[in-house]
Amino acid sequence: MSRSLFEKVWDAHIVESLPGDNALVFVDRVVAHEITTPQGALEIERKYGDKLFDPARIVAINDHVSPAKDTETAIQAKVLRDWAKRHGIVLYDIGKNGICHVVAPERGYVEPGMTLACGDSHTCTLGAFGAFALGVGSTTQGGAMLAGCLVLQRPKVMRITIDGRLQGGATAKDLALHVIATLGFKGGTGYVLEYAGSTIAALSMDERMTLCNMAIEAGATTGMCPPDETTFSYLRGRENQPTGDAFERNVERWRTLVADADATYDAEIALNVDNLRPMVSWGTNPGEAVPVDGAVPAGANDASLRYMDLSPGTALRSLALDQAFIGSCTNSRLSDLRAAADVLRGRTVSIPTIVTPGSQAVKRAAEREGLHDVFQDAGALWTHSSCGPCLGMSMGVLAPGARCISSSNRNFPGRMGTGGRVHLASPAVVAASAVLGRIGSPEELAPVAEAVPA
Amino acid sequence: MLPVDRANVDTDQIIPAHYLTGIETTGLGKYLFTGMTGGAALLEAHPGAAIIVSRENFGCGSSREHAAWSLADRGFRAVVAPSFARIFYENAYNNGIAPVIVDAARIDGLLQAKHLRIDLEKEVLFGEDGTEIHFTLDPLRKQFLLSGGYMAFLASKTGAVREWLRLA
Repeated sequence: MSRSLFEKVWDAHIVESLPGDNALVFVDRVVAHEITTPQGALEIERKYGDKLFDPARIVAINDHVSPAKDTETAIQAKVLRDWAKRHGIVLYDIGKNGICHVVAPERGYVEPGMTLACGDSHTCTLGAFGAFALGVGSTTQGGAMLAGCLVLQRPKVMRITIDGRLQGGATAKDLALHVIATLGFKGGTGYVLEYAGSTIAALSMDERMTLCNMAIEAGATTGMCPPDETTFSYLRGRENQPTGDAFERNVERWRTLVADADATYDAEIALNVDNLRPMVSWGTNPGEAVPVDGAVPAGANDASLRYMDLSPGTALRSLALDQAFIGSCTNSRLSDLRAAADVLRGRTVSIPTIVTPGSQAVKRAAEREGLHDVFQDAGALWTHSSCGPCLGMSMGVLAPGARCISSSNRNFPGRMGTGGRVHLASPAVVAASAVLGRIGSPEELAPVAEAVPA
Repeated sequence: MLPVDRANVDTDQIIPAHYLTGIETTGLGKYLFTGMTGGAALLEAHPGAAIIVSRENFGCGSSREHAAWSLADRGFRAVVAPSFARIFYENAYNNGIAPVIVDAARIDGLLQAKHLRIDLEKEVLFGEDGTEIHFTLDPLRKQFLLSGGYMAFLASKTGAVREWLRLA
């Protein structure tokens, strides 16, 4: 019987069927961070003799607030640290950590065909590798650490075929916002989004991660991209991956992880992105987004308009900004920082601008290319790696009423601080807006005079 | 009954990220709906409520189980809505909160009620005027809801999982 990519991965991990269309799904990898892991780990310690199914399947990362900002977050980090040490679990901590969805793949912990669970909704990012990567609550993550499995109702599968060339400044982020605007904020609920088409095949791993990262913002169970040469090249020679023949044997297995030609889907949509423009969100969910040169739509949701202090017909480019943020698990990898630096090189930001690399490894790679100089010469703050201002947990919290353009993934009310207003966009659009002091795109910027060698 | 008459009640509204700094699952009720405009006043106006009625896509956003913990700590036992985000839906079951799915057309009427009653065992929601709305709970997760024990259930499967892995 012909199967989708999702079905191939799913079928290979079902331990048993359970009532109500549920299944007991084997979990190959658990990614554990300090905000949502301690609760499950402590329950296992109290009730189940501190026994884990297989510590070697777990990777721990202090990521959300690292270094700690106060006593409470210091305790969270310490609990994760002590627990990892006790069980011999690999831990990425201060100095070599970052956002878990950036660190786990860059350290080679994510592979095609794998099932992966993490107490973080943006775990769907890792579906970029053709893995089934699931964001779950602490109890579900704890169960996976305890018993190597989780209970999941079998999701439906939606194939999203994307063709055409991303051009005119459109990026994977704009594609993600376009998909969510097309499906609607909850249009993916109950589905795995299985991406296909020539546009997806042409995306880099960084770009696929950006796209899959926002599957949850359409309510989807996760997103998945078919693994291909781009995937294999990313993994070949990476730490924590086998080398030589052992790796190539894996590649042969991974090559079978593509949808069969006559696979059937519960839903299918096709998009052409030849004319896709850079997108910016205007509202309070990521589905409320329009092209950067567009306006707040007629018939827009009143609650969103009130919160964002907008009216239908207002041009996004007329909106003055108080802050810009480049970072988050959506857009903080090296290619994202390069895109922002290309805009900021030789220019000056006119509003407070925070640039936060996704991991310390990304930070060091960026610095080897001199990107830290570009950002700091432009007047932006270049920080250590972290989730940063994205979720209003530590640095860069917005004041009530402040308007921020951000390369992150959520524009919910209060997301980046009580009363703060968030507009989502690509790193290049955020960088251009930081220069302009209002929402705008790189094409609006005056050319930079070329430095003439003396 | 606490009427939360809006769609897309996201987890940042249920409990903002700056209250996610603990390691325990209890005592979070005081932060409930502090991320929602008018949230505190709404809770004050409905003391003792154990059922929430809301609209589409309740619990969307983050995986934070703190959303379910804060609802449970405040005494809520059920959320009635036309649809739920997946992760919240799973977290609710694991923390004794029933995610009760009813037809969107019923919500306007339910939001007007003062008192609702739910029989989880029989899967019936009783309106004030004696109307009965039948709903369906997930037959497996219903056990977790009524008697707790998602973790205990998985622990009981460990042997089967190891055997499956050996044969895989």
